[in-house]
Amino acid sequence: MNEVLMRIENAKAYYKLEKVSVRAVDGVSFEIFEDEVIGVVGESGCGKTTLSNLISMNILKPLTLVEGKVFMKIDGKFEEISSMSREEVKKKLWGKEITIVPQSAMNALMPTIRMAKYVEHLAQSHELNGKELLQKAEKRFEEVGLNPLWLKRYPFELSGGMRQRAVIAIATILNPKLLIADEPTSALDVVNQKVFLKVLMQLKRMGVVRSIIFITHDIATVRQIADRIIVMYAGKIVEISTMEKILQRPLHPYTKGLFNSVLTPEPEVRRRGISVIPGTPPNLINPPSGCRFHPRCPHVMEVCKEREPELREVEEGSKVACFLYSEERT
Amino acid sequence: MASKPLFKFLLRRFIFLLVTYIVATTIVFILPRAIPGNPLAQLLSNLSRLAQANPEAIRAAERTLMAEFGIDKPLLVQYVTFVFKALRGDLGTSISFYPRKVIDLVVPVIPWTLVLLLPATLVAWILGNTLGAMAAYRRNTWIDKGVLTTSLIVSQIPYYWLGMIFIFFFGVRLGWLPTQGAYSLGTIPNLSWGFFLDALKHYVMPFASIVISAMGGWAIGMRVMVVYELGSDYSLFSEYLGMKDKRIFKYAFRNSLLPQITGLALSLGGILGGALITEIVFNYPGTGFLLFKALTTLDYPMIQGIFVILIASIYLANFIVDFLYALIDPRIRLGQEE
Repeated sequence: MNEVLMRIENAKAYYKLEKVSVRAVDGVSFEIFEDEVIGVVGESGCGKTTLSNLISMNILKPLTLVEGKVFMKIDGKFEEISSMSREEVKKKLWGKEITIVPQSAMNALMPTIRMAKYVEHLAQSHELNGKELLQKAEKRFEEVGLNPLWLKRYPFELSGGMRQRAVIAIATILNPKLLIADEPTSALDVVNQKVFLKVLMQLKRMGVVRSIIFITHDIATVRQIADRIIVMYAGKIVEISTMEKILQRPLHPYTKGLFNSVLTPEPEVRRRGISVIPGTPPNLINPPSGCRFHPRCPHVMEVCKEREPELREVEEGSKVACFLYSEERT
Repeated sequence: MASKPLFKFLLRRFIFLLVTYIVATTIVFILPRAIPGNPLAQLLSNLSRLAQANPEAIRAAERTLMAEFGIDKPLLVQYVTFVFKALRGDLGTSISFYPRKVIDLVVPVIPWTLVLLLPATLVAWILGNTLGAMAAYRRNTWIDKGVLTTSLIVSQIPYYWLGMIFIFFFGVRLGWLPTQGAYSLGTIPNLSWGFFLDALKHYVMPFASIVISAMGGWAIGMRVMVVYELGSDYSLFSEYLGMKDKRIFKYAFRNSLLPQITGLALSLGGILGGALITEIVFNYPGTGFLLFKALTTLDYPMIQGIFVILIASIYLANFIVDFLYALIDPRIRLGQEE
């Protein structure tokens, strides 16, 4: 296995409101290795975007890191990025170590200046040579399949798909180690989605970015590029597994439900057809006791209502939080 | 590269201006004639006093005057004559100041209005936008709260009421500033320091009353817009890239300024009504004051003349603002290509 790039230890990130807290990320631990693509999947409102905010240290009130730590390898040694001030995060992390391709990449570029000017401003902010960075941007534009001359244009002169690629090119201009993409393809048509994924993988192959976190509810998209999958439900990780394993044999009942709800080209999927998980994700202000999935789970047992299952490794490379498997072991 | 679309844009604006100018002059022609009353009444009553009440002579004078002003002709003929004469720069003869030409009456008062309104509007715009942007940059601090509350209160004060309050306190109670006119009675406008200082003293209150009441609205608008822009996608993305806060604020400020420039163009037009009342309150010899006199005496040529000149200048201002807009917003300039 590769070396660890980022480690998240028992992180609890709540939206602290006046009287209540929304427990959007509640006790999450995992590692991000160098040179891997992690897909984070789950329904809307299960804490995916909060997780991306946590990883990128974009923690703004009312979101609060209540407990836990986040470490990232910066210049070969681990630093606790969760203790950095927002100023430090902006100065040391964003753009250089971590980059974010936002949910709405269409409007992500400053609309009333030419992109080349924007790159120059970026150079100024990071105290870099403007000309050198511009040359780098031209090269990066070529790498993502855009004519470097487009840099002299305004963002609105580009089509949606091109703009998306321009956003990636600019987002990765300082060679950040970790790229976080939060639903980047949801606004694109299928052809542009494909191009986008190709560009993303190409940047990783070239070593521009080391690791990618791809947050999506679209399993059909993420399965094309992810090495590992994190399945989130109600603020908790219910399963972490490699892509192959999870496709062959999803363990958690929620994962099964999620995968059964989309059409994938495997023959067994074609055989069994698609189904939906009844019910909706719970309210995160007051989540259900025990396993948070138990009200919707087809295999619910007494123990599920009382105790919370731990995330445990049940097979090599597969962790799951479900009592079905802890009994299997005992 | 950008010159050709820019030219096209300007041409399009120019044609548009021409059409609106014709429409506007038509309205200006019709409206005063819709007011009931005889525009010659006052002139004739003055004449009758001079002519020792000779009815024949007065009737003859009325006929001559009717022909002189063209009021005896059908409306359509009057209109065509007015438009063609106006295009040649001939705005006709004033009725109430007969036999003086309208143009000779209006031109001397225009500088007074321009000197008052142009700086006042611009200063209010600049101050308001600066304050609003400052409040947005330091939002939720005491600066923000102070600017917001003051702006809200100030923007709701009618400028003429503010003017009257000023006159009462600074003019009457404290006696610091003269209460009326643009310069002291009895002085003749000239280019000396003494006259300049005198005019400045007269200038302070009308100027301040317009600036203060207009500023608040700009500040509130700017604050809202900058806050909105700071929360927009490009601001967040820039932040994620480690762009300096100051730069992001500059982006937001720039993009918020665009709608404010449209607002400025509109207010350059809209301030006319404001100037009218301010000039009446302060007895200030501007176009508003002259227009007020023309309206009360139903002086058709004068009303028309003032409006023709004012409409032309407002459109000119709008045209310049449009041009500026095309320069600073590429989306406007390049969007015309498609």
